[in-house]
Amino acid sequence: MKQMAESIKDRFFKLGVDVPVEDIENRLSELITKFKVPDNEAQRSVVNYFLKKYSIPKNEFYARQAEPHLSKVTDISEDGQWTDVKVKVIQLWEKTHESIAQVGLVGDETGIIKFTKWQNAELPELEQGESYHLRNVLISEYNGRFQIQLNSSSSIEKLDEEVEVGGGDFTPGEMGSELRNIGELAQDNQWVTVRGKIVQLWENSHESIEQVGLIGDETGVVKFTNWASAELPDMEEGKCYLLSNAVVKEWNDRYSLQLNRASSIEELDEEIEVGTFTSSYSGAMVDIQTGSGLIKRCPECKRALVKGACAEHGKVKGEYDLRIKAVLDNGISTQDALINRELTEKAVGLSLDDAIAMAAEALDPGVVLDKLKQKLIGRYYTVSGPKVERYVLVDSIVQDSELDRALLEDLIAEPEVE
Amino acid sequence: MAGYFREVARRLFSQELRDSDLTSRDESDQYAPQYLLTPTGARVNRVFLVGTLIEKENIGTDTEYWRGRVSDPTGAFLVYAGQYQPEAAQFLAECELPAFVAVVGKASTYTTDEGNVLTSIRAESIQPVDAQTRDLWVLDTAKQTLDRIKELEKAGPENPASNPNAKLAKEHYAADMKEYRSLVQKALESLKENI
Repeated sequence: MKQMAESIKDRFFKLGVDVPVEDIENRLSELITKFKVPDNEAQRSVVNYFLKKYSIPKNEFYARQAEPHLSKVTDISEDGQWTDVKVKVIQLWEKTHESIAQVGLVGDETGIIKFTKWQNAELPELEQGESYHLRNVLISEYNGRFQIQLNSSSSIEKLDEEVEVGGGDFTPGEMGSELRNIGELAQDNQWVTVRGKIVQLWENSHESIEQVGLIGDETGVVKFTNWASAELPDMEEGKCYLLSNAVVKEWNDRYSLQLNRASSIEELDEEIEVGTFTSSYSGAMVDIQTGSGLIKRCPECKRALVKGACAEHGKVKGEYDLRIKAVLDNGISTQDALINRELTEKAVGLSLDDAIAMAAEALDPGVVLDKLKQKLIGRYYTVSGPKVERYVLVDSIVQDSELDRALLEDLIAEPEVE
Repeated sequence: MAGYFREVARRLFSQELRDSDLTSRDESDQYAPQYLLTPTGARVNRVFLVGTLIEKENIGTDTEYWRGRVSDPTGAFLVYAGQYQPEAAQFLAECELPAFVAVVGKASTYTTDEGNVLTSIRAESIQPVDAQTRDLWVLDTAKQTLDRIKELEKAGPENPASNPNAKLAKEHYAADMKEYRSLVQKALESLKENI
């Protein structure tokens, strides 16, 4: 802490102000020891306190103490560093907060980095595709990634010669985002354009959402969210659309498409086949998860009820249904599968009415779940159906009952490897 | 984010489980799962097995604690279920012997005072199945064990790209893969007799 105080004192001394080192140390110590403030935050706060006390303009202090020099984007590696960069604006994003004037990506020949230009910096507008010399920008780190901050001590100078952008794994296409197959969306934060058919529209779970549902093409189906703030037109179930400049988001290994203000929706005249893409999986059923068996659904939106209430419509008189959320396992991987009422009835030999009667007699729907587990767990099955997020929506389930004799002969005949 | 993922249920014969004694666990995380590395290089947390329940006994003192013995072509698994595995314990309490059963559970180990490592299965689920399912399991397990044996035979300093589990198993056990091959053959032959 002594060292920290000395270095702050030195910096003030260069500006012609002699701050007693004990004062600095006392302030630091109070913040760090008593109030558990992180070191760099404490330093910042102490510096600002003395700047104010001695009426030193902030930019004078910071400009002198660092003497920033020109850095390449890949060389940016220190949180709290001040530097200059010569970059081209690659992409401007939608700002997420009113205190932000502009946010997006800039890059040079070595790499690409996010930048944030704060509203109170009162700097001129950056234009996409133009090159600039950004002076005295602050580097900050968040979650292991660096970004550039343009604040009131920074300055912007437009360059006549274009900065070449290369490196990094981000290559902006001509249109901003490339047309992709839905089944191949697998990169978080990627900007894409897709064409697909609205397979399902779901009930909105929040007022900030305009529409949410599933969109699919020949290769797969993905969840999409059309945010109300995007101010985009509504889409209809069963119709086909071109969604331009949507963002791929990953959460819990699942991908979804987000439509924001930069996105656009265009209705297509063509018909797109969805669901020809089916996935097939063979393995032993090793688990049937809670939420399986005899359940009640909301009569309005068909959601499964939790304790007699629908997440959207509250307390409702539910309709009975049978379904299974199963886990299949082949020893190498696992696969979640959703089995609907019709296939559940067939696989278990238990009709919905029987199940309701069973549950009524036992005063417990759990007996139905037990029965399903007893009939299905431990057996080998092959399921197939469209894959949505982590589930296979099963439209065929067959119990493997024949021993693969060809495989048996092959394995027995296998020569010993020395 | 790392997120939750479900442990895959590995397939192995009882003899191989019995021979295993190398456990590993990420010590920096108290919730990290424990893995058991087997002689053919399977890294096992969860296990799926089908066999014949031949013995059962309530070995609990205050609460019920059931131990079952499930045989396969190479030996037998010890399967435990107590108050924290109520469904599996209830099955063991009520079932008739012998019976074909499918067991999903976690491999666990116990080190005796003499330093021997005993392996067993803590059952998550035990369900009755038919003989056909049992045969399917034997074939499935034979194939997966052979696949591991082949991986392990490839592993070594001359093959740096080899499976790290296979490499580690080779170093730790230095087991003769011929033995495991003949184990698998024995299991396969038993299937052939049934047909």
